[in-house]
Amino acid sequence: MSTLSVEVKSLGRTFSQKPKKGEKKSPIIALRDVNLQVREGELFGLLGPNGAGKTTLIKILSTLLLPSEGDALVHGHSVIKDANKIRYHINMVCGGESSGYGLLTVRENLWMFSQYYGMPSKFAKDRIDELLGIMDLKDKGDAKVRTLSTGMRQKMNMVRGFMTDPAIIFLDEPTLGLDVQTSRHIRAFVKEWVREKPSRTVLLTTHYMMEADELCDRIAIIDKGTVLACDTPLNLKRMVKRESVVKLEASGLKSGFDLSTVKGVHGTDMHTEPTTGLTRISLILEEESALADVLSALSVAGGRLQGMQKSDPTLEDVFIALVGRGLVNDDNGK
Amino acid sequence: MTTTASSYTRPSWVKMNFQAIIGRSLPRVIGAYREPSWIFMETIMPILAIAAYVYIYKAMEAPPQYIGYVIIGGAMTAYWMNVLWSMAAQFYWEKEMGNLELYMMAPISRMSILGGMALGGMFNTSVRAVTTVVVGMFIFNIAFKLDDPLMFGLIFGLTLFALYGMGMMFASLYLLWGREAINLSNLMTDPIYLVSGFYFPVKYLGVLIGAAASIIPITLGLDAMRQLLFPGFGDGFLPVWVEMATLVVLCFVFFVLAKYMLDYMEMLGRRDGRLTMRWQ
Amino acid sequence: MKNLWSTFKNASWLGWQMESNWAQPWLFFLYAVVRPIAGSLLLVVMYMVITGGTTGALFAYIYVGSALFMFVAQVLFGAAWVIHEDREHYQTLKYLYISPANFYAYIMGRSMGKIVLTAFSVVITMLFGVFALGLEMPLAAMNWPLIIVGMVLGLACITAFGLALAGISFLTARHAISMNESVAGIFYLFCGAIFPISALPVWSWGFAKAIPVSYWLYIMRMAIFGADSDVVALDTSMSGYDVQTGLLILVASTLVLIVVSVGIFKIGDYIARKKGLIDMTTAY
Repeated sequence: MSTLSVEVKSLGRTFSQKPKKGEKKSPIIALRDVNLQVREGELFGLLGPNGAGKTTLIKILSTLLLPSEGDALVHGHSVIKDANKIRYHINMVCGGESSGYGLLTVRENLWMFSQYYGMPSKFAKDRIDELLGIMDLKDKGDAKVRTLSTGMRQKMNMVRGFMTDPAIIFLDEPTLGLDVQTSRHIRAFVKEWVREKPSRTVLLTTHYMMEADELCDRIAIIDKGTVLACDTPLNLKRMVKRESVVKLEASGLKSGFDLSTVKGVHGTDMHTEPTTGLTRISLILEEESALADVLSALSVAGGRLQGMQKSDPTLEDVFIALVGRGLVNDDNGK
Repeated sequence: MTTTASSYTRPSWVKMNFQAIIGRSLPRVIGAYREPSWIFMETIMPILAIAAYVYIYKAMEAPPQYIGYVIIGGAMTAYWMNVLWSMAAQFYWEKEMGNLELYMMAPISRMSILGGMALGGMFNTSVRAVTTVVVGMFIFNIAFKLDDPLMFGLIFGLTLFALYGMGMMFASLYLLWGREAINLSNLMTDPIYLVSGFYFPVKYLGVLIGAAASIIPITLGLDAMRQLLFPGFGDGFLPVWVEMATLVVLCFVFFVLAKYMLDYMEMLGRRDGRLTMRWQ
Repeated sequence: MKNLWSTFKNASWLGWQMESNWAQPWLFFLYAVVRPIAGSLLLVVMYMVITGGTTGALFAYIYVGSALFMFVAQVLFGAAWVIHEDREHYQTLKYLYISPANFYAYIMGRSMGKIVLTAFSVVITMLFGVFALGLEMPLAAMNWPLIIVGMVLGLACITAFGLALAGISFLTARHAISMNESVAGIFYLFCGAIFPISALPVWSWGFAKAIPVSYWLYIMRMAIFGADSDVVALDTSMSGYDVQTGLLILVASTLVLIVVSVGIFKIGDYIARKKGLIDMTTAY
């Protein structure tokens, strides 16, 4: 039985708000009664929309933030009482990170950070060179950080995070804002890194469902501070397999059109393309027979059906089923 | 995938923090080399401000040793400004740049990071201080009479050590605050020049104010250095040996306080979520 | 014109927010009062240590000059700091740069917060001098029209210097602070801020009189104490200049300075754009 790298127990985090005069503001609940277990050697994903609480959870686990309630054990140590002990075993890479010093070269920046983890100097230089090679950044090793493009900078950040060979690494949206090729490269690197040594654990937050699906052994779906489900991608998709996943394309629909009130619709997500006026609708139906009511509602609203497809559920569909709206929308599929 | 050994033997806590000091000093050292504009800004220009205070004393027809007091005070200004802005306030800038969270996550003492900043900036600061003294001596024809260079060196070293300890203590405030701490630093600049007697002997502020100001290491450090460089004028606040002993105590007190305050402020910063909050 | 005013107005609002919204109003007020007084007390104590009191023409010369010099230090710092702050800390300079907003208006507007705060500080310092230190400044004897004209010209001159420093800031690293401090140091030494220019070596008088700020301080002392007062007479290097001559020189030099500063700013801007420095980060 593998040991636990991370154990989160009834974790909660609240942020108070400064109210204006005469106003009463309730605190923001960023995390609410979160319980998770991440096994050693796992590539664990946290999937959720913006503002779900993913980064807040990562900050607590990486000892940057204290929880308001509950506790978490990282590498067997409490984030509240033993933060200093945890820090020997972790590292973190965030998406869109701007850390480092523009005036130093890539190698100099990385060497500097290596010294904060007690890496012997020569060992650090060899490791940095090797990782720069793996990241296709070797020719930029002597370039000043301020001359790097966004993608190169993120690759440098990845080297910074991984060069200390942490037992647990937290990746907070590491491919945010990167092009397809760079993102692919980073994902391949992460996958290989975990596979290389069974004791390495990765906690990855993302709102890209494809990334979570491709990389993660298990995924926790989080929304509004609460973990809604936690399982392997396959099992999560099986949750909605019983239901029908239908994709429609329609034109002529006015804004404000809402299918969530139609009987038998479990969840819905709609996007209208401004240039073509075509609305793409993802539906989770309790039963296929609900489709007739859906098409009827469409017709009453003046819409014209352009295409229809029944598909295998994706993680987005799982999210819609759990929450009732899409992963990329913040409110009710609008 | 990787061919280097996947792990290394973690060094002792002392060695690791020593490495951290060297590591953090690197940006300062390299920055000084790659952006040489500091040479002009930090050497020639500060002398102008010091010269202004010299001429104000000349306009008042002050005794000649006061010119020497201004020069020594001006030289120590370099260290005070370094402590206030390049060390204490640095956590604010690091937070804005996104580096603070990486430092907080690393398994090293915060004091090592601050120590590295101090060490890295020491060269620039010392160049500024030495230039002030040398140029001041030649332009204003000031003669120092140093009979006990060992004592002078000891006083200077203790003053810096205690001063940087105080700076580490202030740095803890920046873990929690943002612009409040910057404005506090602004607020402290001129009053410290006044009560610490940067440009005049602190004894003329009276016993009570002088005693209260003695908590700032530069007060007694400057006073002792002036007594050693300009003996016999009777402008000292306390005997040199008393001031030296007090500096020893201040060294210990500030470093211990710095440790506790950094830990406490970090805990508050983690509790309130301010460690990673930018643009406060 | 509308764009200019709009940019200036919004930048002024932003500058004021950055100066003031870090604290509760009462704390900010306390800070605005304590800080200038503490700054002026250094020179007061230096004077008292040597002369034993706070009387005499020299004390008035020093005190008023030191109070007025706050404008020089703060506005010079403020204008140049805008570039550094927006570029390195808030990383908004590039977005501002590519917008249709007038950049000069933006810098002037951002400096307004400092100008307003400094004006308050100067008034507080003067009041402290009069009521706590016995500084003789009879209100009835002041030449108020000259004070107003002098302030307008002085602020225009200082702001022009600030603009030139802002142009240079495009090209410098974090040493923007040192640069501002250094330039303020030149003015502090040579412009008769805290001692008469005649206390300097004779060979430096020519340089001192080439700086418009020297005339500004001279005119302001004439306006406050009277053209024939002992305070004004202390500076024998300026004894040949009456009010009209001083004003003329100040106007002419300020106009030249504005043209030169805009030129320096444009050159700094051009070089920064050529070298890709508009969004460089250099902190270490």
